[in-house]
Amino acid sequence: MSWCGLDEQSFHLCCQLLLQQSEQLNDGWSWEVVQGSDEGYLKKTALRVVNINPSRKWDLEGLNSESETQSCQDTERDQSAPVSTDDADDFKGNFDEEVVEDDSVCSEAAGSSLVLQYEYHILFSCSYSVPVLYFRAFTLEGRSLSLEEVWSSVHPNFRLRLQSSPLNTITLQEHPLLGQPFFMLHPCRTEEFMRPVLQEAQHRHRPVNFVLTWLSVVGPVVGLEVPLKYCTLLRPAASPD
Amino acid sequence: MASGTSEAASSAADLKLQFAPFSSALEAGFWHQLTQKKLDDYRLDESPKCIKGYYYNGDPLGLPTRLTLEFSAFEIDGPTPARCCSAIGTLYNTNTLDAFKTTDKKALLEKEAKEIWEAIQSGAALKDPSILSRFILLTFADLKKYHFYYWFCFPALCFPEGIKIVQQPSMLEQVFSAKQVSALQEAYDGLCIKRGTTAVPYFIMKYTDDAVQMAALEDWDAFFADTKKVTVGVYDPCTLSQHPGWPLRNLLVLLAYRWGSKLDTVGVLCFRDRTLQGSRSIQHSLIFQIKLPELLHNSACPKSVGWEKNPKGAMGPRMVNLSECMDPKRLAESSVDLNLKLMRWRLVPSLDLDKVVSTKCLLLGAGTLGCNVARTLMGWGVRRITFVDNAKISYSNPVRQPLYEFEDCLGGGKSKAMAAVDRLTKIFPGVNAEGYNMSIPMPGHPVNFSQATLAQAQRDVEQLEKLISEHDVVFLLMDTRESRWLPTVIAASKRKLVVNAALGFDTFVVMRHGLKKPLLGQGVSAGADSSSSCSSASSSSSTPAGSAPTVPGSSLFSNIPGHKLGCYFCNDVVAPGDSTRDRTLDQQCTVSRPGLAMIAGALAVEMMVSILQHSEGGYAVASSSDDRMNEPPTSLGLVPHQIRGFLSRFDNVLPASLAFDKCTACSPIVLDHYGREGFNFLSKVFNSSHSFLEDLTGLTLLHQETQAAEIWDMSDDESI
Repeated sequence: MSWCGLDEQSFHLCCQLLLQQSEQLNDGWSWEVVQGSDEGYLKKTALRVVNINPSRKWDLEGLNSESETQSCQDTERDQSAPVSTDDADDFKGNFDEEVVEDDSVCSEAAGSSLVLQYEYHILFSCSYSVPVLYFRAFTLEGRSLSLEEVWSSVHPNFRLRLQSSPLNTITLQEHPLLGQPFFMLHPCRTEEFMRPVLQEAQHRHRPVNFVLTWLSVVGPVVGLEVPLKYCTLLRPAASPD
Repeated sequence: MASGTSEAASSAADLKLQFAPFSSALEAGFWHQLTQKKLDDYRLDESPKCIKGYYYNGDPLGLPTRLTLEFSAFEIDGPTPARCCSAIGTLYNTNTLDAFKTTDKKALLEKEAKEIWEAIQSGAALKDPSILSRFILLTFADLKKYHFYYWFCFPALCFPEGIKIVQQPSMLEQVFSAKQVSALQEAYDGLCIKRGTTAVPYFIMKYTDDAVQMAALEDWDAFFADTKKVTVGVYDPCTLSQHPGWPLRNLLVLLAYRWGSKLDTVGVLCFRDRTLQGSRSIQHSLIFQIKLPELLHNSACPKSVGWEKNPKGAMGPRMVNLSECMDPKRLAESSVDLNLKLMRWRLVPSLDLDKVVSTKCLLLGAGTLGCNVARTLMGWGVRRITFVDNAKISYSNPVRQPLYEFEDCLGGGKSKAMAAVDRLTKIFPGVNAEGYNMSIPMPGHPVNFSQATLAQAQRDVEQLEKLISEHDVVFLLMDTRESRWLPTVIAASKRKLVVNAALGFDTFVVMRHGLKKPLLGQGVSAGADSSSSCSSASSSSSTPAGSAPTVPGSSLFSNIPGHKLGCYFCNDVVAPGDSTRDRTLDQQCTVSRPGLAMIAGALAVEMMVSILQHSEGGYAVASSSDDRMNEPPTSLGLVPHQIRGFLSRFDNVLPASLAFDKCTACSPIVLDHYGREGFNFLSKVFNSSHSFLEDLTGLTLLHQETQAAEIWDMSDDESI
């Protein structure tokens, strides 16, 4: 077993299996088909609450210059904002005095935490013969996070370790099927870290869902949890290998 | 629990039921799709459009109650994500910001509220209760700036007196036995299967100690025929422990309208259904009892509320700037930068990219070398690139000069400097490129034919002086030797870093000129020169330039500090003259192997980048071929004085040489004359034969003394 990649057909089988399990576990994975083609990808969306420390909000890598951090904050402020105060009166127009007093609204607010929407896609990379995790994160306004912001949402202790590990390969790439900018975990090291897992599994004659096993390694890096129940509950499930 | 305070507050307020409003949540794909729709379909059509959102009752604690719109929002008949409830909305996309501002929001809300009210009156809402959770979205898409203005409204009909709570909300598990909870879950799943969906927004239920029954809203009369104990269920997207979410509001209006006169209290189940780590739970659903207010059948449409507050908590629209992720030019810029950052993150952590990207580069010559240098500079993310060239593009150029095309040669040919700027901007709109179609006066090429030619030469010199002052690095990329003389003198005088590339047939030289020590005091010569006296690298260096460390084992040609290095002319024993008249092999570079310009052009830029990475910039000690095994002085490696390449042997060597005190370009006497006399001195050089400079610098004397020893750029026995 020298080559530990995956062919496209096995990829699809693994995905189908994962989908069945996800259905049972209500884990939210779905298969999305690209309009006008027979290509598709696994998709899941998830929400994460990021607690913001305002002074270090988008502190990139923890080793950045002051100015860079500053400019990131400025951008953030600039990019998703209520319409500026100058315009506020303008915008209300015929509206403000008509606002009905509504005492049936609860005033419990979410606080100063930031809610981020994450969208995860699993695609097959023909060139590397492995699955690839694409993802993007955006605010509730729909503004995508920059790579710096994505890094900043990773805990600093974790971040430093990640950046020196083989998983430190988050890059911005055009989604091969959607054509929109996404981040991806670069697949150049995937085979390398999958090899021992697969070899061990083969040694013990245990079935392995390549996509699931791979996902449980790379997912947590970008906040995607893979419930242990995939493994414990569903052990008897058939494996395409 | 945090709910303790709110509980106290609500009991003081006579136990009125309060609802958690929806927060709008837009996925990036929604804005992409709206942009496409606006460009392809809607264009200037402002009429209302039907769109679809969804909400979910399985959020973990702490998330806001959301109505989500994704890219599929425009496909009304498309699928809704599993276990989510869809909500139908009306999109009003205005053509102008002004129309967005002046749209009558109150009227929009009232119109929608009236439709809901009519559906309640007619009974349509019973059959299809999804009309109770309709929404409005008002947008203006500024597709020039990729700014999106938007305002959501979730219309809710109001009871004037509010809704009285009879029994406080409790978690389901505190009221129901485990058996009842699982019976409820089964009943709900059964209802979903019966209706062929994965989520039911509204339902009715009744229960005993060991059974739970559920039915659709429209089956009300038959379902509750045998009981007075009425419980309604709502698929509840809220996670607060004391409050139901928004979708319950209009349902209660429906109940009050149809059964308010018969019912006193109603049980409400806020059905919440989450799966964490593969374990499903509905125990945290809320259950409570309210007193249903009465609504007269002939009453007018109740007043309505629902416009969403902005992030400041005020009534107003929101704006999101998506230029970073939607404007193709911004995408190109961020991708270029990202590529470079990856180099730093993954391979060279100490790489100072800002120093490179912010360097202002002046390219003298926009031919084979100039084109290749410009492209490599763009690869490094350099934004400010200025071309100087006086030639037009000819038919032979495009195949060797990668910034030009056949079309550029037609009609006499475009100016190279201008065409290069256009092409750079096409390749990467983020570049800040300028072109100057001008000649550089040269020694031995007289300018004194007339007053006009003299005045033109003076203007050209002034322009060149100005350009050199305004840039950080000067690239000498011309095709004649003598045209490099004037910029060498000016740049040496202004203490600017010079990178010089010259081609033979299958040999090239790429070199940095020695950077003279900073002038003492300011404005001695070239007073116009601003603070950036040399490269940004050297200006940030704290060590005074010239105090080069003495390294053991130094010989004459090793460890030469940057300020003692020679220039292109230092190795010459003849002054530059008209090379189109007395050509020597070394001096002409129009005929060269085609790959050579790409190699030399790329090396010129890479040399600049390595110099910039050195803490002393242009004052860095010259690395030589012998340093190849030593610890490199920068994160990128060596900082040589010269790279001499021999294509026939596919080999490069890294010689270093000292500045020559009789150099015709950078010797003190030349710089001194230029500093004192300026253009008068230069015009004498232009108009005289080469003996003028040779006499001035003492070369003539040297010639006589040394019997014209033949000295090539490099002797044959120099080691490789």
